[in-house]
Amino acid sequence: MSHTPSEKILIIGFGPVAASLVEGLLPGVSAGQIELTVLGAEPQPAYNRVLLAEVAVGSTRTEHLMLSDLNRLRDAGVRVLSGCTATRVDRARRKVHLDTGEPLSYDRLIFATGARAMIPSLHGVNFDPHTEPDLPEGVLALRTLEDALSLQKVLARRGRVLILGGGILGLEAALAMAAAGHTPVLIHHGPAPLGRMMDADGGRLLLRQLSEAGVEVHSQVRATGVRLNENGFAALGTETHGEITGDALLISTGVRARTELAAGCGLEVGRGIKTDEYLCADAEHRIFALGDCAEVAGTAPAGLLAPGWAQAGWLANYLLTHRAPRPDRAPEPQSALTPPPPFTASQVLMLKGQGLELTAAGDIDAPLFAEDGRDVMVFADPSRGCYLKLVTRDSVALGFVALGLPRTSAELVLAFERGAALPEDRSLLLRLDDPGLPEPTAAAADEDTLCRCSGATYGDVAHAVSEGCETVAEVGESCRAGTGCGGCREKIEQMLQHASVLL
Amino acid sequence: MSHSTSPTDTHCPYCALQCGISLTPTPGPEAATPVALQGRNFETNGGALCRKGYSAAELLAHPERLSAPLARQADGSFAAVDWDEALDLVAHKVRALQASHGPDSVAVFGAGGLTNEKAYQLGKFARLALGTSRIDYNGRFCMSSAAAATNRAFGLDRGLPFPLRDLDSAALILMLGSNVAETMPPFVRHLDGAREAGGLIVVDPRRSATAQLSENGAGWHLQPTPGSDLPLLLALSHVLLTENLADTRYLEERTTGLAALRTSLNAWWPERVATLTGVPAAQIRRTARALAAGAERAKQGGAPVFILTGRGVEQHENGTDTVTAAINLALLLGLPGTRAGGYGTITGQGNGQGGREHGQKCDQLPGYRKISDPAHRAHVAAVWGVTPEQIPGPGLPATELLRTLGTPGGSRMLLVHGSNPVISAPDAGNVLRALRRLDFLVVCDFFLSETAAEADIVLPVLQWAEEEGTMTNLEGRVLRRRAALTAPAGARSELWIMSQLAERLDAPGHFSDDPREVFDELRRASAGGLADYSGVSWSAVQSGQPVYWPCPTGGDPGGTPRLFLDRFAHPDGKARLIPVTAHGATEAVDANQRLWLITGRLLEHYQSGVQTRRVAQLQAAADQGLLEIHPSTARAHGIIDGQPVRVSNDRGAVTARARFSPELRLDTVFLPFHFPGENNANLLTRDDVDPHSAMPEFKNAAVRLTPLESRE
Repeated sequence: MSHTPSEKILIIGFGPVAASLVEGLLPGVSAGQIELTVLGAEPQPAYNRVLLAEVAVGSTRTEHLMLSDLNRLRDAGVRVLSGCTATRVDRARRKVHLDTGEPLSYDRLIFATGARAMIPSLHGVNFDPHTEPDLPEGVLALRTLEDALSLQKVLARRGRVLILGGGILGLEAALAMAAAGHTPVLIHHGPAPLGRMMDADGGRLLLRQLSEAGVEVHSQVRATGVRLNENGFAALGTETHGEITGDALLISTGVRARTELAAGCGLEVGRGIKTDEYLCADAEHRIFALGDCAEVAGTAPAGLLAPGWAQAGWLANYLLTHRAPRPDRAPEPQSALTPPPPFTASQVLMLKGQGLELTAAGDIDAPLFAEDGRDVMVFADPSRGCYLKLVTRDSVALGFVALGLPRTSAELVLAFERGAALPEDRSLLLRLDDPGLPEPTAAAADEDTLCRCSGATYGDVAHAVSEGCETVAEVGESCRAGTGCGGCREKIEQMLQHASVLL
Repeated sequence: MSHSTSPTDTHCPYCALQCGISLTPTPGPEAATPVALQGRNFETNGGALCRKGYSAAELLAHPERLSAPLARQADGSFAAVDWDEALDLVAHKVRALQASHGPDSVAVFGAGGLTNEKAYQLGKFARLALGTSRIDYNGRFCMSSAAAATNRAFGLDRGLPFPLRDLDSAALILMLGSNVAETMPPFVRHLDGAREAGGLIVVDPRRSATAQLSENGAGWHLQPTPGSDLPLLLALSHVLLTENLADTRYLEERTTGLAALRTSLNAWWPERVATLTGVPAAQIRRTARALAAGAERAKQGGAPVFILTGRGVEQHENGTDTVTAAINLALLLGLPGTRAGGYGTITGQGNGQGGREHGQKCDQLPGYRKISDPAHRAHVAAVWGVTPEQIPGPGLPATELLRTLGTPGGSRMLLVHGSNPVISAPDAGNVLRALRRLDFLVVCDFFLSETAAEADIVLPVLQWAEEEGTMTNLEGRVLRRRAALTAPAGARSELWIMSQLAERLDAPGHFSDDPREVFDELRRASAGGLADYSGVSWSAVQSGQPVYWPCPTGGDPGGTPRLFLDRFAHPDGKARLIPVTAHGATEAVDANQRLWLITGRLLEHYQSGVQTRRVAQLQAAADQGLLEIHPSTARAHGIIDGQPVRVSNDRGAVTARARFSPELRLDTVFLPFHFPGENNANLLTRDDVDPHSAMPEFKNAAVRLTPLESRE
């Protein structure tokens, strides 16, 4: 009996995307097909960074962030090395060197190194983009559990926290703090938060809603540096608004892919580790990259979870069904894989701040009368907190921003991601959020069914009433209406009442 | 007016609600039906009936009723033959095929509509008389996912582990993928309490008749995109855990697996799930909080809270995991096995409950025993008077059994009882081709169904009002089916057919044709099993006294109306929280196949329509499968109301007239599955199956639409 030897797969990084990949590879591990090792720099396994602000304000506990169950993985046979950093990849010998312990060998290697907070150029802050940020006391990013715990301490002192950056994460952090009774200050450089994903009118409404939610907002700010005192952070210096004082500065100005390890072993690096559309980073089909560290087919990493998770699902299946390359055999061309994985770089933001319903997707930068084949639709009802701008081409959404329209936005996200045609009458989308569902307006005709269960029509019931039936039960005996589920009894009662009025 | 004969109390032939009816013989040959049928005051229906029930007697003396065995002739036509000739031929074919191709060359396909006695006997007949492992049944297309999920969570599968009347007083009912207002209308009476309390929450991609019951303050409707029920349920559980709304004491005392479940749920926050389901995050939170508040009140003596699932969430390739997610939600709320509420699945077919307990499943022996367990085999072998070695091992589940017919390794002869897979099986075009590959097909039916029309031998059998026996309804209550009429000459009971064939095949064991004797044997065979009927007395069932299984000998003669009050059925007495996750289970819609097709039922019809399509008033109300489509979607496809439309995908094509319905989602169309030929919705469905239950994917197929020229 021939026994296929197992192969060694090594994953560098243990964030949410790596966790999903590990999950997908488990069948191969249990089947003895794969020896899987996961290397995580942080002490704990994968967790959900999306909820770090909630942890900082105390509305969520750490256990609600955890995305991997270490005991379960170890029982399944996965080797998990936590608190351990890869220092160098030796592609010739297929080994990964570590900061502690023996080097690890691999047959295939996966980069899931993620991204680190991008620190802007500010006086008083070291911003070397190629190392983990080393920030002064009171200045922090919100990227790790450790960051969240630092922020928690500041908030416990009821400190005034400045948030620099008007992206989705900055907004969510500000709203989480405000909801917990703190007084966050959101500072950003555009006219409204969310940059190009928001337009002027939507932006105005958003600013109003943020302010109503208890967030102090400073727009069009040019930050220049930080002033520190003996306790650490004291104020943010700006070119436009003078000095803005606070007890801590939360930097939320985006992220940058961790690519140094890949660059160090000769892989091509741009805005991320460069891969083809199949996530493959080398000619031998031995090295792959995915998630926030990967530039897939020329598209910059999205910085969002959904695309990374889609990549992880696809890659797990690929690794399970395609064996590692062997020196004696030419690699099979990736182009033979059909169809190519449908990784969209779709930018969909849905604000996770309760009470403020905001969804933004794609490109909405178009004038109302675009006259270039694009159609623009705008709906605004600022007094109710509702706004929608939708840009389409051939009825397919190119982008939209929606405020205060939860059902409409959920449906638009589905259509946007699928590239599905929207209804010709776009106002139909708005009616999805109409709490009063359409009621039949036309008066019922004699041949219309009144009682679905028995099939009795309005005419049958009218006849029964005209023959002298005075109760629902009598009508039921006469024509069976109302004797099934009973859902139409009310309508029969109305007809009986109507008849007695006429008498 | 006086009748010479008194009325016979029995139950409606159709769905698992098994509404009480009484039949009174009508005098004289000029009567439209041989009996007059009336609703009877019984707990599930309170005297009410739906149109299907009212008109059921019309089939008893129907002109198309089969009255003699039919044998296929050389020219392809059928000719009436006598019973001996037909049965000899069947036995001869069994022997000849098994001699050259082995015992598994003959297979059996049963049904969830058969009485307990027939279902039991069919399993025994397959294993002993035919010696084949290849038996499965249409319940695989019905209850298998819920059964697999409840077995792994609770250690036992009874559709409703509580009496239906418990729903009457509920404050909240979360109902997923079930359109009872059309499929079993008298059920709706049991929702009145929850509706009055404003607590009927319906999850359905359509604004179905049941979803409409939640309007005007009676509750609310969540309308997810087809196939996304699983992530929706994960998000509801996520909210319970992250907002600390779960019942921690209950979880500690009565369940295991919380830590792993918690980790698995962390990834399903409401905003993420909103983008997968189309259900707003706020609505998800509101629903979870309402459930938690309701459960809390229920535990302090308030009205109970229930979670119910139907085929809409179960008939998927992730059906078992979806039901597991619903059960996890119920467990997090601390409901199952308490008087504060619980989880249940709404069984569909008339005897869908009893039919799944007594050995028609390929991996199962009577009493919900496992065919692979040596102790279980030994018990059943002793009752059957054979050695355990004489009982074959596990066979193939329905979809695989059908798909492999006439292929190398597949069976070459099939006996079908009470089922019409040409209409009801997924990817029906493929099923028809498979049946045509067979060497020999035998169908037992009382009408020439679409499947019978393909047969080599058709054996005419009794209808519901002509036979004695027991049925087990959706609450696990054992009911008496009674004969009110003598069967027409020429028709025979399936118990008689099996006993005749067993004799011709020199089968070991005894095959009685008397329902009461078979019931007594069933009781012995089920004794000590999960579905224990040993203490169910014929006289109690006869008198209409409530008896719920499990009902072991020497226990309460009423059995167990409410399960799990002290412990769950796993050895440690605890329920299992099993982490499940959602993968991309939906068939991708793309530029070529832009829309999702979901399938379902109409009020007027039952299952494959063999019976209801022959009832004039039902057929007049719904004579074909109409394609329900949102007017806006129709406009985009150039379709007008009433226009014939070709609905197609890689598996097949269906023609149906469009019916405008704003109750549909824009991305989804609906077809009922009761109709034959080019109107058969299952030509489009997928035979991809659930890894745990082998349930096929009925509710999620990508399709394209082409308007056809109006033929008017």
